[in-house]
Amino acid sequence: MTFLREMKDKGYIPQKTYMKMMMGGTLSLSKTLLFNMSELKKLRTIPDTEERYVRPKREYNIPKFNKNMKFYESNEKYLRPTLYCNPSDPEVIALANKLGAFKKSDKEFAEAAFHLVKEKMTLEILPMNEVGETFRRGTGTCFHLITAFIALCRSAGIKARYKIFAINMIKAWYDAVVEADPLVKKWYDSMGYFMLEGEGEAYIDGKWVVAHVGPKAERQAAAGIPITKFGEDSIGNWFFAIPGTMMFMESIPYGFSGSTKLLKIIAPGSMERVNISILKQIEKGRQIIREAGGLEAYDRKARSEKGPKKPVMEIKKHEKIIFED
Amino acid sequence: MGFDEYLKNFENLTQKYIPQEKDWTPVDDAVYKPKDLFRIPLKEAEKLQFKALKYQFKNQYENNKMYHGFCKEVKKTPDDIKNYDDLEKIPLIPGEFYKDYPMGQDFALWLANIFTGDIPHIKISGKNPSFDEVINSFNSAGLAVAYSSGTSGRHTFIPRDMRTFNISEYSLAKLAISMAYPAWDYDSQGYLLMPNPFKTNVYAGKVCTVYYDVIKNVTAAIDKEINTELIKMSMTGGSGFKAKMIRSYLAKMNKKIINDIIKWLDKNDKQKNRIIFAGAPFFLFAVTKKLKEQGTTYDFSDRSAILTGGGWKVHEDKRMPVDRFRKQMEEVLGIRPEHCLDAYGMVEGNGWMVHCPEGHYLHIPISYFHPMVLDDEFKPVGYNEYGRFAFLDAGAFSYPGFIISGDRVRMLEHCPVCDRPGPVLEPEVTRASGKEMRGCAEELRRMISADIGEE
Repeated sequence: MTFLREMKDKGYIPQKTYMKMMMGGTLSLSKTLLFNMSELKKLRTIPDTEERYVRPKREYNIPKFNKNMKFYESNEKYLRPTLYCNPSDPEVIALANKLGAFKKSDKEFAEAAFHLVKEKMTLEILPMNEVGETFRRGTGTCFHLITAFIALCRSAGIKARYKIFAINMIKAWYDAVVEADPLVKKWYDSMGYFMLEGEGEAYIDGKWVVAHVGPKAERQAAAGIPITKFGEDSIGNWFFAIPGTMMFMESIPYGFSGSTKLLKIIAPGSMERVNISILKQIEKGRQIIREAGGLEAYDRKARSEKGPKKPVMEIKKHEKIIFED
Repeated sequence: MGFDEYLKNFENLTQKYIPQEKDWTPVDDAVYKPKDLFRIPLKEAEKLQFKALKYQFKNQYENNKMYHGFCKEVKKTPDDIKNYDDLEKIPLIPGEFYKDYPMGQDFALWLANIFTGDIPHIKISGKNPSFDEVINSFNSAGLAVAYSSGTSGRHTFIPRDMRTFNISEYSLAKLAISMAYPAWDYDSQGYLLMPNPFKTNVYAGKVCTVYYDVIKNVTAAIDKEINTELIKMSMTGGSGFKAKMIRSYLAKMNKKIINDIIKWLDKNDKQKNRIIFAGAPFFLFAVTKKLKEQGTTYDFSDRSAILTGGGWKVHEDKRMPVDRFRKQMEEVLGIRPEHCLDAYGMVEGNGWMVHCPEGHYLHIPISYFHPMVLDDEFKPVGYNEYGRFAFLDAGAFSYPGFIISGDRVRMLEHCPVCDRPGPVLEPEVTRASGKEMRGCAEELRRMISADIGEE
């Protein structure tokens, strides 16, 4: 019973909205695969004559772990280990120490962790794995990267959680990730707007602060959007969240990695094509940043083109609005 | 019939939209006082506009916390508006702001928080109310919350009070009828090419309730309740059973509408009735295309008018040239091009730009509506330049109607064809780059069918 309660408490058991989306996605994928068997056969592998994916070299060093390195060990919510996210993993502790855990303020540390994960790690579509492995590899899906950010924060004693939602993506991202492979495109299109995306959140000075670690600056430049900073949301910028799908979680739930594992088995070629396209997008973004005169110059330009200033909306309780349960 | 008598007939039918004169503000002076909103001498119109906008800016600044904070941030107050040229200092809100809303109970609070002034007590049931449940609760309490654009799955929600909504309805009807002189007559048969306004909160439909007051017999193309859920199912491509059923139902409904309009035309032709169409042009395009294929034509030339609105897409990749539409209406229905006018407006605004019959340029009701064209840095540009359309709408009492739209336009100082004073927009309005396709007709077109009007 305790085990079950703990599973529920940590969020291992999927929420209703999440279950609904996952079931929709699975059904949709099954249907796409079933009705596209001949295409699947053609697309599941990449012929040797075609370009292959070569994983980029890791862009950071991981210091050697030693037992004197400080880390935060707790069973408190949002600080404890969860699925795929162990804050006391040696790689996590070593990197957290390197980034200044327990020496910097919470905000400064979270910013450093954000920068490492967002700018030094690369998006690669592959099945979910433990966070230590993600750090050793230096690549992963946005969920690998969010987990990496969360693990670093928790290891430094900063509460951190997942923010997950279904998205409508901007066209540039759609072109790079969805259009890159006909099967993925069919899957995405058949699902309409179903596709999960997420961000990390760190609890700093009494507030949850968002960390959108998924896209490197180069990928954002390739899409023509500003480089998001720690505390800036991807929603409305990089993605548009489908109303009613926003979920906050302490952990990635059970079954989460099922779809990527399945896709890896059924259509490894499709995954590879998407990864090739992501690297091309990074290269394109690198050139755009260079031509703009550097990262800061690019960001300034992109922000000025983003549009006019909007009012800030604070949603407060209103005496005339009465909610009746 | 002279223009004065013609308009007097209209005013008699629309008294319920006009507040009592003792309660008039400078905004009401600018909307209800002028006889013909398109023929006010320029100086006089600017005077009315300045007083109305100064009043409305002060109202928004003092009674809307969100807008007050925004003005403070950009360091502007009503004291900065001293003369007509200062009007362009009024802080503008991007239209996207009204698309940035939360869900459930927070949606109700969001609506209440963007509302200017007092709202009545509103009771909302359920822990997680839907958009429709929240809107219906607001509207049952005497408001007129409406929405538009579901093309990307995001609506634009605007919280109107009845005073604002009445201005929008009254001015739409008055502007169209003035421009169509002498084609309008109460004793007409009307066909509304939109959802039944009494069964929807989609702005394009809802704003047409006035049509039922100024036309004797009105038939609505879509008599079913249209809500956010139905729009989402039909437009965002859900793959579930329910979504498929809805799409299949809408496709059938689409065919039925086309056949119903043809039967309606036939009946009114035989009875020699005067007919007036209002609404989305793609319906008429599809009707006339079918009639053309059948080899059927009508002659409604001396007893007809068409007021279209909402955009000119007839198919996913096809935009219909407006002059070709008019030609087709004349060839098949006998409706004269000068009786075939288009109106341009949007859910965020209460001003309606209407084609003049002479040149089909979009004339602007400048006594209460200040148009602007902005460059890429969102600064006003002069006449004859292309840019993003923005406006200061004095008619919006219940929300700040100082808006940057997503539409690309070109404004001219005078109409090149007719002698009505004031600036005009070139006849066809497009979307600014990076903005999704929208327009109520486009929404409706996408909702009810993907292939209507295809050639």
